[in-house]
Amino acid sequence: MTEAIVEYRGISKFFAGIRALEGVDFKCRSGSIHAILGENGAGKSTMIKIMSGVLQPDEGTILLEGKPVTFSSPQAANEAGIVCMFQELSLVPDLSVADNISISHPPRRFGLIDRRAQVRRAEELLARVRCEDIDPNALVRELSLSRRQMVEIAKALGRDPKVLILDEATSALTTRDVQTVYDLLGDLRDKGVASLFISHRMHEVDALCDTLSVFRNGQHIETFAKGERSEGEIVRLMIGRDVEAQFPPRPPQPPETLRDAPLLSVKGLKWGKRLNGIDLDVRRGEIVGLGGLDGQGQKELLLALFGVLRDVEGDVRIGDAKGIPSSPAAAKSAATRLALVPEDRKTEGLMLGMSIADNLLAASFANISSGPFINPKKAQAEILSGISKLQIKAGSPADPVMTLSGGNQQKVVIAKWLMINPDVILLNDPTRGIDVGTKQEIYKLMRSLANEGKAILFYSSDYAELIGCCDRVSVLYAGRVVSEQEGDAITEESLVAASLNIGIEAA
Amino acid sequence: MRMSISTENRPIVIASLFIVVILIAGTAYTLSTTGTAPLLSANYLLQQLQTGSFLGICAAGMMMVILLGHIDLSIPWTLTAAAMTATAVGGDLALPTALAVGLAVGLLNGFGVAYLRIPSMIFTLGVDTVLRGLMVAQTGGFAPQDKATPLMLFLAKDKILGIPAAIVVWAAVSLIIMLVLTRTGFGRSIYATGSRERAAYLSGIRTRSVIIGAFVVSSLCAAIAGVLLAGYSAKAYQGMGNAFLLPAIAAVVLGGTHILGGKGRYIGTLIGVILIVLLNSVLSIMQMPEAGRQIIYGSVIIGMLLVYGRNQRVTS
Repeated sequence: MTEAIVEYRGISKFFAGIRALEGVDFKCRSGSIHAILGENGAGKSTMIKIMSGVLQPDEGTILLEGKPVTFSSPQAANEAGIVCMFQELSLVPDLSVADNISISHPPRRFGLIDRRAQVRRAEELLARVRCEDIDPNALVRELSLSRRQMVEIAKALGRDPKVLILDEATSALTTRDVQTVYDLLGDLRDKGVASLFISHRMHEVDALCDTLSVFRNGQHIETFAKGERSEGEIVRLMIGRDVEAQFPPRPPQPPETLRDAPLLSVKGLKWGKRLNGIDLDVRRGEIVGLGGLDGQGQKELLLALFGVLRDVEGDVRIGDAKGIPSSPAAAKSAATRLALVPEDRKTEGLMLGMSIADNLLAASFANISSGPFINPKKAQAEILSGISKLQIKAGSPADPVMTLSGGNQQKVVIAKWLMINPDVILLNDPTRGIDVGTKQEIYKLMRSLANEGKAILFYSSDYAELIGCCDRVSVLYAGRVVSEQEGDAITEESLVAASLNIGIEAA
Repeated sequence: MRMSISTENRPIVIASLFIVVILIAGTAYTLSTTGTAPLLSANYLLQQLQTGSFLGICAAGMMMVILLGHIDLSIPWTLTAAAMTATAVGGDLALPTALAVGLAVGLLNGFGVAYLRIPSMIFTLGVDTVLRGLMVAQTGGFAPQDKATPLMLFLAKDKILGIPAAIVVWAAVSLIIMLVLTRTGFGRSIYATGSRERAAYLSGIRTRSVIIGAFVVSSLCAAIAGVLLAGYSAKAYQGMGNAFLLPAIAAVVLGGTHILGGKGRYIGTLIGVILIVLLNSVLSIMQMPEAGRQIIYGSVIIGMLLVYGRNQRVTS
């Protein structure tokens, strides 16, 4: 056992009098991959922000290799060898990949940035994360979320970390990239780097980490080696109570409605090069999953149905109406109402700077107004019912929505849409980066909405969710549905095989 | 964060306190020189509000656009064009004509920004220049000979129940804007669109219509201010709107509206206007030379914004 590289002694942090961390003692060692577990709001993010110099602790000391240190800024932490990849991507979209990778210390020649050296360096680092396919001169804005995340990892590697912090670094990654990151972290461990790994995916933690620490309510509950505790015990430690089965049961028989005409019917949907003829039906009472590798057209399909994309071709029937709505505004106010929970809740789902109440009402001004004026009583009632229906944990509806934890933010997005009582609900990876407890609540909610007779189209990058939640799954590959699976026939093997488009070309 | 005043209200409180400071400083000056305190008389204050109402109405419209994260630089010549066409048409049609000019300019600005996606700073500047060209072409570059109509004179100069009519108009505009911003779906959509246009669009808000609507309100306000100012001066003249653009922006920002959109309360804009009007007036009472006035005026704007704090941290 080597000496602790980073040690916390009695670290506390308060925000506006509210405790985020309380008296945390914590150690992590070189040459280990250390998982930090806990629900959202447990203090994980605060703890790593302190380690990486973004926040300063109110009490306690940090020891780096046995010596007390204070980091006044992320730069100071970087120089000491602590590199953090934040959940919110820190890349500049309008700069090239190479510019981003060496943004803090660009190679110089005669005082000017040496572009060729910069590109070479980017190529080397991208090769280390096995992303040779990324062009160092491409703009970050042109890359998919998963690719951006890999660039972010390459950028972090470029700083020669002694301690590498990965905050939800894998939540946006495709299966293939996740494997690359696993291998990489293994290499780094062998070279003596300490990696702190924050993830909500238990199987990742299981596959990767050697040490686990559980946080709850701003306190460090326990640290133990992998294998000392069962998964169930770990989850209990995290949420401090027992949990029932992760997914709500599917209705035992295929729902009655399977014989009904589909509420949403898509035939030969095409859009540019991304959608190449999608066929899909969703009936009332059904949850239909969209599977497949990242970037096979799932997001575009949802956006197209919601009227966001232009020049979409194909036959679409929503309820009794033919054709695709012309805009989100038309989609939500049609006879058969659509709702979309978008991919990125921070930029697409929420107005982060506005209050919880304003965000909740953003889709339903028409419903709560009499004439041009908003009826404050109706508005208040809607806000309170939204908050209680989804059990959003918030101080006051007037608080800015950005003060909420990720899971509660996502609940606000969902509650906003439930206010218009939609018939078809489109979900784009709604559980990305949120805690286990909230995930389970969302699964339950989806099932109960389906039981109320809503049609749900659900894209998830997590196979377990597709298996656990969906009545049917359509797997997309290169903008087409390559496989449809139903009920108990949905298994991880069949999904993976279909995602890679192995041996089902005949279908 | 230790303060009990929310960050949204802080600029409003600071600006209000500064108004008190201006009045005290000005009164101290007049007491020491002439032994009187004219600044605190109701007459003086009403007169200041009357001259401030032109700026106030421009700022009210400007605020709608700034809340979207856009800006309307076409205010000076929208104001002038509305005033000139109103006096040229004359009679009962003068007022509707001015409003029609405002409506047309607003629709054009909104169309350029919402549909053509041209940055508002460029597009409205272009529209402003085009309007100036049109007005010069129409008048040959001279002050038009037409006179303001009796209604315009009444609105700008007369009193209603002892209160200058211009202030009543300003109050009415303020009331409408305040109601729109706080109590209508359109108003809340302005905040949502200004806060994050993409999220607002994906929430099914018709963001293009919202943008057009805000620019129309801005141009209508400029047109109303133009009518009042023409009435106040008894005629319209070249460049009559030039003095209002920057003070209108300054008033909105001093009142705490975020220049990138999404945040701000109308009461702040009102206080920002009063602050600017009183500051100018007190400086001229102190017989400060023009150069000094400009320097103090500019420094105050920068200083106040520094005091408000740069609370927009990149990391949350």
